Amino acid sequence: MAANPLLEKAYLAQRERLLRFVRARGAGDAAEDLLQELWLRLAAAPDPAAASGMAYMMRAADRLMIDRYRSAKQAGLREKAWAEAQPGLADNIAPAPGPERSIAARQQLAAVQQALEEVGERAAALFRRHRIDGVSQRALAEEFGISLSTVESDLRRVYARIVDVRRTIDEA
Amino acid sequence: MNGAMIPDQPMREAALAWALRTREPDFEAWDDFTAWLEAAPAHGLAYDEVQFALDEADAALELLPEPVHAPAPAPGYAAANDNPPEPVIGWLSSRRGWLGGAIAASLVLALTSVLWLSPSGERLYATAPGETRLIALKDGSTVELAGGSRIAIEGEREARLEAGQALFTIRHDEADPFVLIAGEDRLVDAGTVFDVRLSGAGVDLAVAEGAVIVNPKGQNLTVTAGGRAVRRPGGRYSLAAVDPQAVGEWSRGRISFESASLAEIAAELSRATGRRFSSTDSATRLSGSIALGEVRDNPRALEALLGVRVRAADADWVLEAE
Repeated sequence: MAANPLLEKAYLAQRERLLRFVRARGAGDAAEDLLQELWLRLAAAPDPAAASGMAYMMRAADRLMIDRYRSAKQAGLREKAWAEAQPGLADNIAPAPGPERSIAARQQLAAVQQALEEVGERAAALFRRHRIDGVSQRALAEEFGISLSTVESDLRRVYARIVDVRRTIDEA
Repeated sequence: MNGAMIPDQPMREAALAWALRTREPDFEAWDDFTAWLEAAPAHGLAYDEVQFALDEADAALELLPEPVHAPAPAPGYAAANDNPPEPVIGWLSSRRGWLGGAIAASLVLALTSVLWLSPSGERLYATAPGETRLIALKDGSTVELAGGSRIAIEGEREARLEAGQALFTIRHDEADPFVLIAGEDRLVDAGTVFDVRLSGAGVDLAVAEGAVIVNPKGQNLTVTAGGRAVRRPGGRYSLAAVDPQAVGEWSRGRISFESASLAEIAAELSRATGRRFSSTDSATRLSGSIALGEVRDNPRALEALLGVRVRAADADWVLEAE
């Protein structure tokens, strides 16, 4: 792939900053490799001019680290499910994966649902309008007749609740 | 996970605050964020955990049903039958041991109201395009109805798919098998998770678990897990393999096509997303898998996903070959 020269120049100018960022994000020894992967992602961006922006590159690096965490976590979960299934298996047949996956999806759905019930009606309604209907926080403040900071703090409460509920599911 | 690494509450709150900020499209303070991360290695972990939970929540939101208000009785319902339908919520709570409390709770919320209750006791359920519904049967079986679909359920062991698509998770009972009428065909379960789609050409059956017998008194064709049977004009079935994990994936916000024409893809997308897609191209055929959320938010995303042109015309999104 022929990379855009301006993008390459912008990337090289920010390289140290990006390296420092992925290290701080917990990349450890893999930092250089991850930066290589980041470069491949940037080079594949549909709009090289936009991808040359500092914020764009930092965000891409952040996303890369989140994806890395996700795949590590999912690999861990798969191993755990496999290990738990072993004692009951007489003949090395892997358990059918389908239902487990849909149950995980349901659990996640239940987590969001539970969080929305616990935060109260206004916060739940704000969250739905914001996340599902895509209404901006400012427009929500107007629609609900409350201040922008109230919208913010309601939304933050919902997010905090979702993270907490999610955590109890993981630990269960 | 290492116990010493589990972030404490204040750290989680700080991580959440950062995650919400970095999620804003105009976030610029990456250096401040880096400084926070560098202050302690556990910060990065707490942040990952929060971002992961938020991503998962986003994915789940796609499946989240609208808040349930007391459903208005369907027209004709009171006249048709004096007995109200079974209080399904009571049934669910008695089965919590099987389903698990949290899952049961989500099922209750996702439960649909019966659209029509005929004198024969047949219940008709329907979904609008872009909407999905979960129907719980008394014996623990469930039917997930895809967007733009209609199904009639008679008793607990017989149903008729009238339009669209549904995913069946059926409790098998040798003595009393579940029977689904789909188009002109009769599908009989043999311990099963299976998906059935009615399209112009006929029935498309995919089996994730167990087996389904097609027309026991006719072809008597047994389709087992990982099998797909598509009815061709003239009533013959052709068999193909399918990834059991992909069966019913529309209920998890994703759909796949296999050598489907743009016209067929447009029709499927309309049903699944509730947005109107159309195409007059029945020659170009594509295979692939699409996450519905992205397409619902931005129909033009299909351009990159499928390599087609997406044009806005009146109320439709028109798909054209490049």
